[in-house]
Amino acid sequence: MARVKEDTAVVGKNWARLDGADKVSGRSIFADDVRLTGMLYGKVVRSPHVHARILSIDTSAAEALAGVKAVITPEDAKDIWLGINQPLLPTESVMHVGHEVAAVAAISEEIAARAAALIKVEYEPLTELLDVEKAMEDDALQLHEKAKGNIAWKQEEEHGDPDAVFAACDVIREDTYITNPSHNCFAEYHVCVADFSSPAKLKMWTPTQTAMLFQQSLAAGFKLPVSDVRLLTLNTGGGFTGRTSTRPHHFLAALLSRKAGRPVRLRSAGDEEFIMSRAGGRVTYKLRSGATKDGKLKVIEADLLFDTGAYIESQMIVTTLTSKYIHALYPIEASRYRGRLIHTNNLPYYFHHGGGIAQFQFALGQHMDALARDLGMDPVEFNLQNAVEEGYTTMDGAFYASCGLKECIEKTAALAGWKDKYGKLPKFKGIGIGIGAMASGAKGLFRHDTSAAFVKVTEDGKASLFVGIPDMGQSSHTTMAIICAEVLGISPEDINVVSGDTDSDPLDVGAFIQRGTFNTGNATKNAAMDARDQLTKKAAELLEVEEAVLVFRDRRVYPEGQEDKAIPFKKVVYETLHSQEGRFVMGRGFYSSPLEKGTMAYSFGAQIAEVTVDPGTGVVTVDKMTASHDVGRAINPRIVEGQMDGQIFSGMSQVLYEEILMEDGQVMNPSRLDYKMPRAFEMPEVEHIIVESIDPNGPFGAKEVGEGPIVCTMQAIANAVTNAIGTQVKEMPLSPWRVIKAIKD
Amino acid sequence: MAKQLITLIVNGDSYEVAAAPHQTLLEVMRDILNMTGTKRGCTAGSCGVCTVNGEQGEAILSCLALAVEWDGRPVTTIEGVEEGDKLHPVQQAFLEYGAVQCGFCTPGLVMSAKALLDVNTDPTEADINEAMAGAICRCTGHIKVKKAIREAAKALREREVNDGAS
Repeated sequence: MARVKEDTAVVGKNWARLDGADKVSGRSIFADDVRLTGMLYGKVVRSPHVHARILSIDTSAAEALAGVKAVITPEDAKDIWLGINQPLLPTESVMHVGHEVAAVAAISEEIAARAAALIKVEYEPLTELLDVEKAMEDDALQLHEKAKGNIAWKQEEEHGDPDAVFAACDVIREDTYITNPSHNCFAEYHVCVADFSSPAKLKMWTPTQTAMLFQQSLAAGFKLPVSDVRLLTLNTGGGFTGRTSTRPHHFLAALLSRKAGRPVRLRSAGDEEFIMSRAGGRVTYKLRSGATKDGKLKVIEADLLFDTGAYIESQMIVTTLTSKYIHALYPIEASRYRGRLIHTNNLPYYFHHGGGIAQFQFALGQHMDALARDLGMDPVEFNLQNAVEEGYTTMDGAFYASCGLKECIEKTAALAGWKDKYGKLPKFKGIGIGIGAMASGAKGLFRHDTSAAFVKVTEDGKASLFVGIPDMGQSSHTTMAIICAEVLGISPEDINVVSGDTDSDPLDVGAFIQRGTFNTGNATKNAAMDARDQLTKKAAELLEVEEAVLVFRDRRVYPEGQEDKAIPFKKVVYETLHSQEGRFVMGRGFYSSPLEKGTMAYSFGAQIAEVTVDPGTGVVTVDKMTASHDVGRAINPRIVEGQMDGQIFSGMSQVLYEEILMEDGQVMNPSRLDYKMPRAFEMPEVEHIIVESIDPNGPFGAKEVGEGPIVCTMQAIANAVTNAIGTQVKEMPLSPWRVIKAIKD
Repeated sequence: MAKQLITLIVNGDSYEVAAAPHQTLLEVMRDILNMTGTKRGCTAGSCGVCTVNGEQGEAILSCLALAVEWDGRPVTTIEGVEEGDKLHPVQQAFLEYGAVQCGFCTPGLVMSAKALLDVNTDPTEADINEAMAGAICRCTGHIKVKKAIREAAKALREREVNDGAS
């Protein structure tokens, strides 16, 4: 069913980000730029061992150093727990390289570093467990009492009767894929400034994707009422799923501040950034699927094994997510899923950009491409024949109120010239397709999935919009201003977005699981409508018409069809605020999905990659990406393109470049020189196709674009490489040596 | 080591500061002069976020430049790029063409781009790629950054023509 695109004045036009002028002129403040009176500088003492018993910690030399104001050891961190089984500082054994053991605060970073080096820790090395397969053996060392068999988490799920469906299939295929450890590599390093000088109230400035969850986590850790923890979010230098929960440094900075009675800034330096951060871990994906000879996909089975490292915090979400995405793209008759998170003495891993879903699709997308070839089908034809459509409900209950997947595939294939290229390219040139889906928000992963917003209309005809969602570059604040401006009939430039202080921010779970545009967007729209409703009485009175016929547009208010009678928006506001009864205009709005759990809207996309493989070196060059995304409605098209660009970069980076090289539990390439990402000269030409399916529940029809595109990129590039060399490279990244090995084998 | 009294000339203003021989230009600007527009990244010369422009407008990694080396030599930082109350064409193009996302690497990107366009307002794709090769940007994928640099070059060329005409 085609829905009509609403006629809008500001939604759908290209708007420069509202914070852009500050960002291009050096005025934007990030946490590392915070300067407070009396501020101290922290430094963490980290374990050089993979697994070792702590015999003693001698802090006397550090404490004697002039300028040192606080030293903390596991004694000071008793009863503070991170996640399920992780004490803030270990009382008995260190569990991984880089494990926090102690910390200091001093009057300069230099003195803090010297003091940290003076802390003597005696260790007794213990048996190391670095391999997931070994960790699962019967006689393996148990790393945590509660994780029997070192299994930190397990999820098993079955829909339909997979065995019976497999038995009725003509073609069955099995593949095993691997993705390797990676790092978020946000431009802004891990950093926070804590002011806990009054022990009753903790203030913290730190980059985050969710001030609300940080606030709750710190309050729980320090046993404070939630309202006594105040999170101040300035600009956030990138998120990429890596700033969705607190890390040890947040607690350590607070503890140091409490002990010293002064604010403390703690920032990771050099290789620390790579050993403190938890991005993706090594994952093995065993996939099996079956189809009938007419090309109909019937059943998918997936067995995922995650190296979750030494601890588990909220990583178990990854099984919830990946189990859902088996069903997301193709209507199948049965499925079987198993996901297990295994403890080792590797770094405790979390997520990289793509949240585990894009990495899973690297595997599933290649597997489907191979299945299509087994069936003698062109992958584009296979995907078109099997793709989900609007109105479909997946086996695990996701309903697609809008779905532009087939349109994405068709338009991308046409623009890329797929038919003229697939199977017709010279040797070592390849073309590949990847398709994907992404939820806009997910109720049930948390108790609620609510966003709220306030709109305060001021007498100059402008408005302040209060939202709790952080903007870590995805431009959500500008998006919300556009939505608010559309409803009030003013310009986004008239909106002052106020955000980043939990004392005044309306409730918002945060900027992740792609909930911003849909959830906070709906909340903003509702708040703006509430504010507008507070103006209509006076406007109707001034215009001498019924409230129902009023149009708010272009900073004016007029009766529908009678623009000549328009009065300025500012006049309506002024007359309302200065009315005799004394009024205010303060709109409130919130959005919570009507579902008990799950997601109201899904985005879809397709990407086609064209690559050249150098058979001598194994180096893959991406020549061109053609990318489409069904965003429902593009609130700000240039920003939509920018989101697609960034995710194509990140997907390309992960599938071809990024790998934390681990050797005996140590990170071998802990720097931005040795941990590779594409530079400007390596980026291909990108063609964008924005598909607008107008979601019935999204604000002005909009859905997410914050993580959907990356789901398509890795698989598209991997499939193009397969097309170029005639065999799959089943382990990511597709580093030159892996490509060469695949060619030679 | 004993500190030295040096004069840093940043964006046309002179500052007398005592700097230890091992202190970098980045440290002195951020921590002594409180000029935080220039960001601190890897501090090892591999990410480009701390880029400023030197005497000849050349791109300098301020995390690798020792402050004492810059005694008496003019430095331009992101805070000194605006032309009066107007954005510089490079800044304007970054803003207009969507080259800004999280904004952390943006000051470094702007300074790298400006170093190129100050001496070459008609850069080839290869010139742009070379000028930006030292920069890491995780958000934009460099796509719109390169577009903005091409657009800024166009604006600067137009300005050259207009300046010549008047």
